[in-house]
Amino acid sequence: MAATYHLTVMTPERVVFDGEAQNLIVRTVSGEVGILARHAPYVAPLDIGRMKIVDGEGQEHIAAIAGGLLKTDPESTTILADTCEWAGEIDVERARHAEDRARAYLENPTELHTQEIAEVKLRRALNRIQIGSSK
Amino acid sequence: MAGGTMRDIRRRIRSVESTGQITKAMELVASSKLRRAKERAQSAAPYLDRLYRTICDIAAMNSDLSSEFVRIRPVKHSLLIVVAGDRGLAGGYNNNIFKLADAALAEKDAKVIAVGRKAVERYERRGCLYRGFAQAAENMDLVRADQIARIVVDLYQKGEVDEVFLYYTQFVSALTQQPLELKMLPLSEIAGDGMPSAEVEYEPSAEAVFDMIVPAFLKGMLYGGIVESFASEQGARRTAMESASDNAQEMIGSLSLALNRARQAAITQEITEIVGGANAQ
Repeated sequence: MAATYHLTVMTPERVVFDGEAQNLIVRTVSGEVGILARHAPYVAPLDIGRMKIVDGEGQEHIAAIAGGLLKTDPESTTILADTCEWAGEIDVERARHAEDRARAYLENPTELHTQEIAEVKLRRALNRIQIGSSK
Repeated sequence: MAGGTMRDIRRRIRSVESTGQITKAMELVASSKLRRAKERAQSAAPYLDRLYRTICDIAAMNSDLSSEFVRIRPVKHSLLIVVAGDRGLAGGYNNNIFKLADAALAEKDAKVIAVGRKAVERYERRGCLYRGFAQAAENMDLVRADQIARIVVDLYQKGEVDEVFLYYTQFVSALTQQPLELKMLPLSEIAGDGMPSAEVEYEPSAEAVFDMIVPAFLKGMLYGGIVESFASEQGARRTAMESASDNAQEMIGSLSLALNRARQAAITQEITEIVGGANAQ
């Protein structure tokens, strides 16, 4: 059996994952990285994308994740994300609505929803739709 | 004469009763909001704790890093972020945090970012409001916290402010809330807490990582501070309204007693008059 390490995935709303993992694949701002046991200390900000965890039993878990950071040290790996949902939890219908709203704001930006924010919202929505519908 | 006093007492009882109904309703609303707010504050706590420790570690591993967020500059202007409520009638909640912030404001050349209508109004009157966010605390989320964090980072990077403080109310329990001052920038004081450890890889670069993580850190701390303050506000309001309702009950009790006495006295006097009249004949 493959070596495992302690992985914690947290958002301000909840602890998403807290347990042993064999492998973690996640998208940082400079590209996708895979974290196996005994990885060198490493810190990177996260992008909007897909997260795959292979847990201690070899089960695969897929989630949509956005923002935050990844930090590994010899004992454990921590992900502090802005948002994170398992593929099974994603409400694709809601994400599609969010996509429409974001596109509307992209056309007509307001002070609260600037183009920049609308773009981020659109990418988050598209990410959720992609991961939510591929389950 | 006695009839007049009784009418007055009845009127007062009615008025106290209706005030009591309002305070009771406010107490119930605050209790139910408190429950939700407490849950939110408590689920954010482990994240914030981990975030704080992580930033300490990262800052400690980079004690030589000349990031502008760590470097101490001579302080010319300060920025105070003050989190208060949208409404009053919450006991000392608003006043306690204002007292703390005003003490700092008195000796600094400071701008204020106010969260909550009461804070916005107060600092607008004093002419030191930079940005105000009314009605924001109840539905605070990371997107909104991010907007505030961006303003803070922008001001700091432009050199318009040299230090940033957050004033919020810590939620100790439903009965106890503690107004706190927290230094957010520069990070040098935080950096001392972490343990320096082995060489760490940063991607894309240490500096870039730091500059991306600091806004995330501010965002997280703002979110946590505002969520906690909101829970504190509800706790303070519930306690205040609970004692107001109790006082109303007590007042109704003593007024009813006075009313009964007055009624008794009136009846006694009437009987005395009748008996006196009958005897005189």
